Amino acid sequence: MLAAAEAPAAERPLLAASDIHRHFEGLHAVDGMSIDVPAGKITGLIGPNGAGKSTFLAVLAGTLPASSGTIVFDGRDVTTMPAYQRARSGLVRTFQLPSEFARLTVLENLLVAAPKNRGDSLFGALMGRRYWIDDERRLVEDARVLLKRFGMSAKESDYAGNMSGGQKRLIEIMRALMLKPRLLLLDEPMSGVHPKIVLEIQHYLQDLRSEGLTILMVEHELHMVERLCDSVVVMAQGKVIGSGTMATLRRQREIVDAYLVG
Amino acid sequence: MNTYYAANLLIYAGVDIIALLALNLQFGVSGIVNFSFIVFQAAGAYTAAVLSLPPDSANGGFQIYFGGYQLPFPLPWLGGAVAGGLLSIPVGLVVLRKLRSDYQAIALLVLSIITNEVITNARPLLNGAAGLALVPPPLSDQIDPNTASYQYFYVALTAVCVVLVFVLVNRVVNSPYGRSLRAMREREIAAIAIGKNPVELKMTVFIVGGVAAGLSGAILVGFIQLWAPSVWLYPETIILFAAIIVGGRGNNVGAILGALLVPVGFEEVTRFIPTTIGPPGLIPALQWVAIGLLIIGFLWFRPDGVRPEPRHVFDGAPVLEDVDHARRG
Repeated sequence: MLAAAEAPAAERPLLAASDIHRHFEGLHAVDGMSIDVPAGKITGLIGPNGAGKSTFLAVLAGTLPASSGTIVFDGRDVTTMPAYQRARSGLVRTFQLPSEFARLTVLENLLVAAPKNRGDSLFGALMGRRYWIDDERRLVEDARVLLKRFGMSAKESDYAGNMSGGQKRLIEIMRALMLKPRLLLLDEPMSGVHPKIVLEIQHYLQDLRSEGLTILMVEHELHMVERLCDSVVVMAQGKVIGSGTMATLRRQREIVDAYLVG
Repeated sequence: MNTYYAANLLIYAGVDIIALLALNLQFGVSGIVNFSFIVFQAAGAYTAAVLSLPPDSANGGFQIYFGGYQLPFPLPWLGGAVAGGLLSIPVGLVVLRKLRSDYQAIALLVLSIITNEVITNARPLLNGAAGLALVPPPLSDQIDPNTASYQYFYVALTAVCVVLVFVLVNRVVNSPYGRSLRAMREREIAAIAIGKNPVELKMTVFIVGGVAAGLSGAILVGFIQLWAPSVWLYPETIILFAAIIVGGRGNNVGAILGALLVPVGFEEVTRFIPTTIGPPGLIPALQWVAIGLLIIGFLWFRPDGVRPEPRHVFDGAPVLEDVDHARRG
């Protein structure tokens, strides 16, 4: 009985975007994209440069408003919800370019993202340290667990701006994880990262999936996509031109022509 | 040094410290380039003036203004603080919501100039260019303001306000909320991506800063007993920005140092240069050149100021020396 009741929820995609359009003046960057992101999986979004992948990701996260279409996240229509509220509701993005808070320490970069800190309001701040120090201590512990897991404990007091490109990627992923997201939107998490850290990031993402986190990632490195992603959506000129596993996609002539050549 | 001069210096220092703590919260911590800061100080000063002055028919009606409520202390000071906060709401809603931060700065600068022009030329409002005079000092009906003890009393009142503002601003800056403000300053788009609402954060800081600015104006007008458009021209804001840059952006102690070094120290020192040197107006003009050079010099040689923003290290962190060593190595 219970299993039957839960079944539809389990099959329901965590995020369903349908017929999303995003126009810049005359340019149709996203031109009728529909995509289902299944829960607990890593979905890849690939396509040639200028296909509209980053724009689409930005529309899903609310950074850019959709010109038309609907986005349903966890059964709730979030199409017009502001970006910061989507982040709070568990739909969290990262950026293609490093986006650390440079003059905050590595630890602070994580702490600042944590919700539920009594000191993170004007009232709480004015009440003084004693009012919020318990929350702060708990969050420092949480953040240190993440730092340890990502091998960055020794850097916690350094300014994030002084870190390497790969470390900034890790900071950004850890920062997103502090929000306890349901769905992580990653925009080329491996770009500009040292090959050794690429491998680390790959393992972290696999671990996170096995813990139940859902991921939608834009990525150029196809071998990485093949190893990581449970399914892949191919995008070109603002539209979906194919989807499935990498193995099936490689057999489809028009997709190979459009993108997978080489 | 006579009592009046000492009190004068201390009260100016107190007023500038309150103003700079507020501006540091807005600009140093949150990254809002509030080039109309002085307007909010003026709003507080004018409000405190019309709340404490008698109706404008008094004194032979030589000046005209609205209000004139003769309210007892501390109501004019509270009113000044509230006025600074209230004025921040419409200004913030117009400027802080849609504009990019560089355009915010331009819009606020223009607002400062327009406001000054309007008050200068609309005489029925606040007596125009001549400004308001004979503003009654706080409790002047009970204590004679022309005594040394009153001067010290006023210094003490100012000091209480300075301490209050310092404690509260310090709490904000050193809290998780202050951390959110700094994150917004560093990279607004990333702050949004972790669930911060920058409009809400900016509006709050803008209003809080407006309240403190208004209070500083109320304190000043109660002491100098007059207020006119010529004392809140937009370059006054530039002096405050110079003080923040010299003191150290994002550091409250730096803001206090900046207040003592720039608006108080710098202006006092240059006051003693004989104005008979060169053509008339040369020395005051050179003062502005010097302020400009001070800003450029600090941005060039010591961009973080005398007291840079402190790095926040948490209990149980790897020892600082190790971290520094690792970075050098």
